[in-house]
Amino acid sequence: MRRTLILFIFALSASCVFGQDFSKSLSDAKSSYQSGNLDDARFAMQQMLNDLDIAIGKEVMKLLPSKMEQHAVNATNDNVTANTGFTGVLIHRDYGTEDKMVKIDIMGNSPLVGSLNAILSMPFIGNSGDGTQKQVKVQGYKGILQKSTDTETNKTEYTLQIPLNSSLLTLVVPDSNEGEVMKMVSTIPVGDIAKMVQ
Amino acid sequence: MKIKLMMALAAAICVTTSVYSQGIVGKLKQKASNAAEKALDKKIDKKTGNVGNNNQSGQEVNDQPANSSNRPSNKGGGGLVSTPPDVMANLSDADASYKSGSYGEARYAVQQAMLGVELEIGQKVLKSLPENVSGLQKEDSRDQVTSTGWGWAGLTIQREYNKDDQQLRATVANNSAWMSSVNMYLANTGYAQQTNGEQSWKQVKVKNHKAVIEYDESTGYKLSVPLGQSSLIVWEGVNFASEQDMMNAANAFDIDGIKLMLGEQ
Repeated sequence: MRRTLILFIFALSASCVFGQDFSKSLSDAKSSYQSGNLDDARFAMQQMLNDLDIAIGKEVMKLLPSKMEQHAVNATNDNVTANTGFTGVLIHRDYGTEDKMVKIDIMGNSPLVGSLNAILSMPFIGNSGDGTQKQVKVQGYKGILQKSTDTETNKTEYTLQIPLNSSLLTLVVPDSNEGEVMKMVSTIPVGDIAKMVQ
Repeated sequence: MKIKLMMALAAAICVTTSVYSQGIVGKLKQKASNAAEKALDKKIDKKTGNVGNNNQSGQEVNDQPANSSNRPSNKGGGGLVSTPPDVMANLSDADASYKSGSYGEARYAVQQAMLGVELEIGQKVLKSLPENVSGLQKEDSRDQVTSTGWGWAGLTIQREYNKDDQQLRATVANNSAWMSSVNMYLANTGYAQQTNGEQSWKQVKVKNHKAVIEYDESTGYKLSVPLGQSSLIVWEGVNFASEQDMMNAANAFDIDGIKLMLGEQ
């Protein structure tokens, strides 16, 4: 109970600090712009974008399931990184142990991701002849499911990628089968995440 | 995993390029097919004795492309409003959206504000560029300031100068994520590269700034000067008589002034 209270106070102060960062950057942006210092105004706005990406990333993290089938979340590995470069915001969560670690990675607000939508509109590229890649649908969203087999261990790893306009959700499940992967992804609220990252 | 992700994205970019190329190839094929049809129609006319007259009664020659439709062509319109986004209004919107927890809306508003600021920076830089260079006059209609507001592609400013068949295009790129790789390339390349005894590029200096000049028989000269951490000026010269002429043209630009306006050190 005491530990929970300490964690709650810590989280609350962290969010207050974040709020102050955004407000400070906003204030800097306004004053720099009004004084004609356009480059400083732009820099302050980039900081605001970073702050917002972190906030969005944290909200998305709350939406992710706390377990994948029998695999519990590794909360200490939860990570949200903001970068207004190519990759936008990066959100990471994983479940289970090293023997079988299920990973979710979400790249939000990245201009590179738009290109992936081109693959989905071309079935002859989305679906491979050897069965290692195919298009699937997850809660109404098109995705690409890829399968790779380790020739030494004969274990199959699945990677499911779902582009959501300028964001990309990736689920990696090692040593698995298609049924299990589709069952796992059904526990991720893709629609809610899509609304949040766009 | 990250390596796989980056490879997938790189593949996606290649696919997009390929799709675009396929679109162009498709159009070229359509044009070729239309030309072949016209040639065939002419031959048929000759065989049937309708030489030189393709509009005799009972025989219609269809000169329209095979994919024509009854869609009317646009003859006029109001165009698009070119006012840049209101920076202060968007910052206020961002504040309100953030306070109400609509982070997506706040993000959009900040992007719009950034777009407005970048366009203002771009216009300032454009105004500072010379009106004419080495006898070439600027083409007002080709002046361009582009910003995506993404914060990664940054800002590009472009101006063209023309005289007869000679052309100089000056492009300033700022705040672009590409710049770090350009700087690495410029810092790590050797002095020059020769192919079959001909010099294709080398390092030079423009107003004391390190630069690289390239020459290609089909495209002409290209001179690139990195500025600070995230900016670059590129001049592309077509039908310039010599490397010195190209360098003289670049020297007409106030590089230090541009650097200052872009906030570079």
